[in-house]
Amino acid sequence: MALHISTGPHLRSRQDTPSLMRDVLIALCPAVAASLYFYGLKALWILLVSTACAVLSEYVWQRLMKKPIRLNDFSAAVTGLLIGLNMPATVPVWVPAIGSVFAIIIVKQLFGGIGHNFLNPALAARAVLLTSWPSYMTKALVPERTLTFGLFESSVDAITSATPLVAPVADIRNLLMGNIAGAIGETCKIAVLLGLIYLLIRGVIRWQIPVCMLGTVALMSWILGKDPLTAVLSGGVLFGTVFMATDYVTTPMLKVGQAIFGVGAGILVVLIRNYGNYPEGVTYAILIMNIVTPLLDRSLKRKVYGEVKQNG
Amino acid sequence: MSKTFRGGVHPLPGLHQGKPLTDNKPVKPYVSETVCIPLNMHIAAPPSTPVVKKGDRVLMGQVIAEGVGPRGVPVHASVSGTVKEVGNVQQLGARTSPCITIENDFQDEWVELKGLGNVETCDPAAILPAIQAAGICGMGGAGFPTHFKLSVPPDKKVDTVILNGAECETFLNADHRLMLEYPGKVVDGLRAAMRAANVETGYIAIEDNKRDAIAAISKAAAGRKGVHVVALRAKYPQGAEKQIIKAITGREVPSGKLPADAGCIVMNVGTAAAVADAVIDGRPLVERITTVTGRVREPSNLLLRIGTIFLDAIGACGGYTVEEPGKIISGGTMTGIAAPSETVSVTKTTGGIVVLSQKEATSMEESPCIRCSRCVEVCPMHLNPFKLKNLCDMNDLKAAQANHIMDCILCSSCSYICPSRRWIMSSIKNAREQIIAQQKKGV
Repeated sequence: MALHISTGPHLRSRQDTPSLMRDVLIALCPAVAASLYFYGLKALWILLVSTACAVLSEYVWQRLMKKPIRLNDFSAAVTGLLIGLNMPATVPVWVPAIGSVFAIIIVKQLFGGIGHNFLNPALAARAVLLTSWPSYMTKALVPERTLTFGLFESSVDAITSATPLVAPVADIRNLLMGNIAGAIGETCKIAVLLGLIYLLIRGVIRWQIPVCMLGTVALMSWILGKDPLTAVLSGGVLFGTVFMATDYVTTPMLKVGQAIFGVGAGILVVLIRNYGNYPEGVTYAILIMNIVTPLLDRSLKRKVYGEVKQNG
Repeated sequence: MSKTFRGGVHPLPGLHQGKPLTDNKPVKPYVSETVCIPLNMHIAAPPSTPVVKKGDRVLMGQVIAEGVGPRGVPVHASVSGTVKEVGNVQQLGARTSPCITIENDFQDEWVELKGLGNVETCDPAAILPAIQAAGICGMGGAGFPTHFKLSVPPDKKVDTVILNGAECETFLNADHRLMLEYPGKVVDGLRAAMRAANVETGYIAIEDNKRDAIAAISKAAAGRKGVHVVALRAKYPQGAEKQIIKAITGREVPSGKLPADAGCIVMNVGTAAAVADAVIDGRPLVERITTVTGRVREPSNLLLRIGTIFLDAIGACGGYTVEEPGKIISGGTMTGIAAPSETVSVTKTTGGIVVLSQKEATSMEESPCIRCSRCVEVCPMHLNPFKLKNLCDMNDLKAAQANHIMDCILCSSCSYICPSRRWIMSSIKNAREQIIAQQKKGV
């Protein structure tokens, strides 16, 4: 009889990399459903192509490089789906296709694969697509259908005007429901919030980054005389915060670092929005903080148990 | 409000830490036909020297091996009978251990015992010799000679003795049952230790998932001088020396130093009960409570003679429920040691025997770190385990030392929680062994 020999721990936590990524996919389901509701087959086509391209490029790369095939960790699928959800409905499908290949091959695999990339692959791809094909990437459609959950009558016209200091209630409702123009997955804030709640409850993500980032966006906007709630609910802030800024690989390891990351990203979002050339700054805000992450990891120190007393 | 430390994990939540299998099973004695008693059950001193030879008749409690040096402790016959073998046997370690095998005559004929009587009134100076003569070493798992732990060097000021009844390890209920069924012994043992070390304050610390044990111990401790019962939050590794000191006193043991440097002595509750027996009755350490659980037919808390073969103990629990066990662990699943065979012995430090199925024992392949930071969250020493793992894998021992690798307590919380199934603690342990070997060589 051969008994297994190893050090402890002899039994491990149930949560593993595939289950974490699967939870992210589940958390994205409401956003996927909303995109299908608003944009129908167009959205379906975009999401299928972006996800398939990401998974396929991961497989081909690992095959060609004779590396272990790690498709079963679902991380490529998450990246692909995120890229798709970040597209406007009008985009030609070859744009997300290129984005997915770029994200997986250039941003992720060239730097060593899962765990080694220093930029969030989906965001880096989005940034590249935004600079390469700005016209395709910014032509967002106001959906033909509206979502009301029977709670109230929606008024799509109401939100075409510039953001006022205190938004009318109807505007907030439309922002929440997604009856606005934007990328297919990020407009319905209720769907994104459901994802956030799921990720928090399942213990996939911690509260530090989302709370600090959204809090900072709200506070900074309020200081600049904008409506904080509208600031948080408009554009891609919520989606970016929940699904990109919480990416493990490209965010700090220490809680303090995560808080700084969230605050930094929040400040950058508001600065880019209000003083930059781009109407929306979430992509670049998070990418810049991704770059800052190794510095935060290196410079922030933990107080080790028993450390100070030894010297003192 | 229960006290605790920062960090830690709640292992195996789906199984409630594996505790319900045996937490309401009263301790039952079991005696086997032969015992094989290792002579190196303690640490910090060489193995004890055999003083009996093959064919000798020995009485229960008779010294069969003498301790070596001031830290050494003797080993006693745990049954009466005939010495069958004196020689090396494969035990838990990588190398074989010197052992004495005794065939039991089931007479339980004791040597004459002479105790000190009452722990409160006996001569405090006589307590440590009695503890040493009884062969007591830390029964929580480490096996550090207890008399030596309680001899406080004159330059250190110890003001607190903490009895560790946390039992945060998965699956084990040996200490839990001991506290429920023999609370008086635990309290007596603490008082003896306090008097021996000349300490006024004593704590008995119990995790708050063992309310019944807290009640039993509190009742037994009522009116006893300087004895306090503390509830600790149920969390792993609450029973680790440094974490229990932090939780109770708020003090931290300085890096690289001993609990005595924080004014504390920490002892397992099982050890305390053995101390009570040794001081009151002069009874040596010949048996202990061991939880036998996992894939066995009737998971139980057994009172086993030291030297009982694992297979006999498992047989006493109805045998395996799986065709072929995958792993047999001495201890719990967090820090227990995987036994190389079923024929290793129960020692003074064996709190549990946990049998895993083949499927449970098959370890998963490591995948790359995804920087989820869970290891950082749970590390009870506030280290950066992911970083240490990388440094160990690159064999950069200097940098690992700069990152406090020597402060790691090897609790394996980081490996437990790691979603990439990385062997973080193993790598740290290996690297530390290399560092210690280098330091010994003076490199």
